[in-house]
Amino acid sequence: MEERKTLWGELKKGILDSNPLLVLMVGLCSPLAISTRVENCIFMGLAVIFVITCSNVIISLLRKFIPDQVRIPIYIVVIASFVTIVDLTLKTLPAIYERLGVWIPLIVVNCMILARAEGYASRNEVKYAAVDGLGIGLGYTMVLLVMSVIRELFGTGKIVLFDTTVIDLKVRSAPIILIMFPGAFLTFALLSALLQWYQLRRKRFKGGES
Amino acid sequence: MNEAWRFFLIFFGAAIVSNILLIRFIGLCPFFGVSSSLETSIGMSLSVIFVMTMASSVSWIAWNLVLEPLGVGEFLYIPAFILIIASLVQFVEMVIKKTSPPLYRAMGIYLPLITTNCAVFAAATESVKPGFFTKLNIAYQYGFLEAVVYSVGIAVGFSLVLIFFAAIRERLEDAPIPRFFRGVPIAFITAALFSLAFMGFAGMFNL
Repeated sequence: MEERKTLWGELKKGILDSNPLLVLMVGLCSPLAISTRVENCIFMGLAVIFVITCSNVIISLLRKFIPDQVRIPIYIVVIASFVTIVDLTLKTLPAIYERLGVWIPLIVVNCMILARAEGYASRNEVKYAAVDGLGIGLGYTMVLLVMSVIRELFGTGKIVLFDTTVIDLKVRSAPIILIMFPGAFLTFALLSALLQWYQLRRKRFKGGES
Repeated sequence: MNEAWRFFLIFFGAAIVSNILLIRFIGLCPFFGVSSSLETSIGMSLSVIFVMTMASSVSWIAWNLVLEPLGVGEFLYIPAFILIIASLVQFVEMVIKKTSPPLYRAMGIYLPLITTNCAVFAAATESVKPGFFTKLNIAYQYGFLEAVVYSVGIAVGFSLVLIFFAAIRERLEDAPIPRFFRGVPIAFITAALFSLAFMGFAGMFNL
């Protein structure tokens, strides 16, 4: 399995088969909290893609020089530097920063990124590490976008993107529960049930009921 | 407001009213990761209570005696707190490895990951900057004792929900549910119902 890896395969793996949120169940905190608005998720997704790809590349480049005993602190320092870059960049957009601000420092302690550094980037070549980071980041962003579309559309009845209303369902009272706390868990539960259903189906088609 | 009552309010507010898992969505990875069995979740809870209390106390001291007087708190608090947490976790890991190997094996990957448990980091940050993550405007700084009570409150709230949840998930194993809802999805639906219940406390009081 190790020999037959292709760049495309690694990218697809991050998006689907080992999707960080739905399958690996890591890095769940921020998606659930910020997916009340699509706009938040676009920025958060970009931030995470940037941080995970860059830190994967750096860690993969340095993998031969990092002593095993102190690897975790080194990974965290690398990740923290990229998070600081994102943090300072996002500060130029006060409106977004107001809503996302507290979650940006928490990217440092997002176990998804550390898990990739530890489990993948430290053992693979640079190009694979970069693609893996990109794939994982895209997988994360996709789930984020799907969740936020569902929650914003049905929770408020419309989607507002950069101060313009993109979709308006024109409902009188939307089920506001979706944009409140339980809604996050509920939406996520339905998404992961959907994925599980798809996987079960695929397994059945390939023959061999498991 | 007398002293004991204020401590109670801080504790109760941190543990229940703004429960870190269900209301603020912090620390969810270990929550879903280790909650599949009661035993590991109790082990996890104990180590989180210990690490969180220690980390917040040490962070409070580091912030008020070192970082703030030097005027570098704003830039350095993230790496400083992470280092404090990382070393504490290392310590707890060594203790558990020596005293209870089965527990050590069961907690597996999640023990080092307490380092990256955002709940611990959030608790440490909030004990020096009250209201940073809750977005409440709290004008005053916690004193040392208040910071400790606050972080114990967060940790107890975390453990309470984790242990309840693990107990429910153990029963769900045998429940007749559709196949594609098994495992993760049903866990999240349970969490949604939990969260709904905890919302009942919202706005009871803020501190």
